[in-house]
Amino acid sequence: MSDPRPPGEVRIGDELTPLSRTVTQEQINAYAEASGDHNPIHLDPEFARGVGLPGTIAHGMLDMAILVEAVGRWAGAYERVVELGCRFSKPLLPGETITCSGRVVAVDPGTATLQLEATSSRGERVLTNGRAVVRTGD
Amino acid sequence: MLDPSHVGRHYVAPGQVIDAERVAAYVAAVSGDDGAFSLGSVPPTFAAVYCMMPALAQVFADPELGLDLAGLIHVEQSFEWPAPVLPEDVVDASAELAAVESKRGLTFLTVDLAAVNQAGETVCRGRSLLLIRGGGR
Repeated sequence: MSDPRPPGEVRIGDELTPLSRTVTQEQINAYAEASGDHNPIHLDPEFARGVGLPGTIAHGMLDMAILVEAVGRWAGAYERVVELGCRFSKPLLPGETITCSGRVVAVDPGTATLQLEATSSRGERVLTNGRAVVRTGD
Repeated sequence: MLDPSHVGRHYVAPGQVIDAERVAAYVAAVSGDDGAFSLGSVPPTFAAVYCMMPALAQVFADPELGLDLAGLIHVEQSFEWPAPVLPEDVVDASAELAAVESKRGLTFLTVDLAAVNQAGETVCRGRSLLLIRGGGR
């Protein structure tokens, strides 16, 4: 892909456009199908409560996929995202809205490093210690 | 039951096809009601499908460990993509147990992941930190 973004002038402190998405149980079910992750903590409220959760929770990898979408929209091409990591600190519950945000914390020749996080509409820090490395050259 | 003597165990899940229809279903599931957002390529976190899930399935099928996927909690995840993953690629996924630690009756398992394409290029490396409730069955 020959997308011109991210802009040549990436600066420390540049922010991602925050990406918010309401995640329903139907979406969690669809993600289970699409990913092959049928762990009942995501699908069966009774099972989830039995292991100490408030009910079913979204897959951490679904939260992370929304996070990388925010990074990809900024980067202009998914191929530019060369590293991504985060901690699944708090669960996202069905019906809640996740908001992913981030900013550039380092600029090196050819790459930018972003610090990322995601919060829920309940005010919980869902994803913490988020970090991505994005190619800025070529 | 999982214990530190299992560190170093290696698992393979060869022949994972990057199927365009599965990619589209994945993008649709992630997008939900917002409408599919695509940058015209395989989303990086599709590594969950071609690498993490099939490799972890092998870990969870190991009778020596006695792990149960149900109730497993994903604590941390990181990935690197040294080369692009393209539709129709066929990758061999693998996992290696990197660490087993117990804290207050909880067992934390660190798994290193990798995916190598048909040309022998590593297209993904990853590390999963998993919480095994009660230390396994």
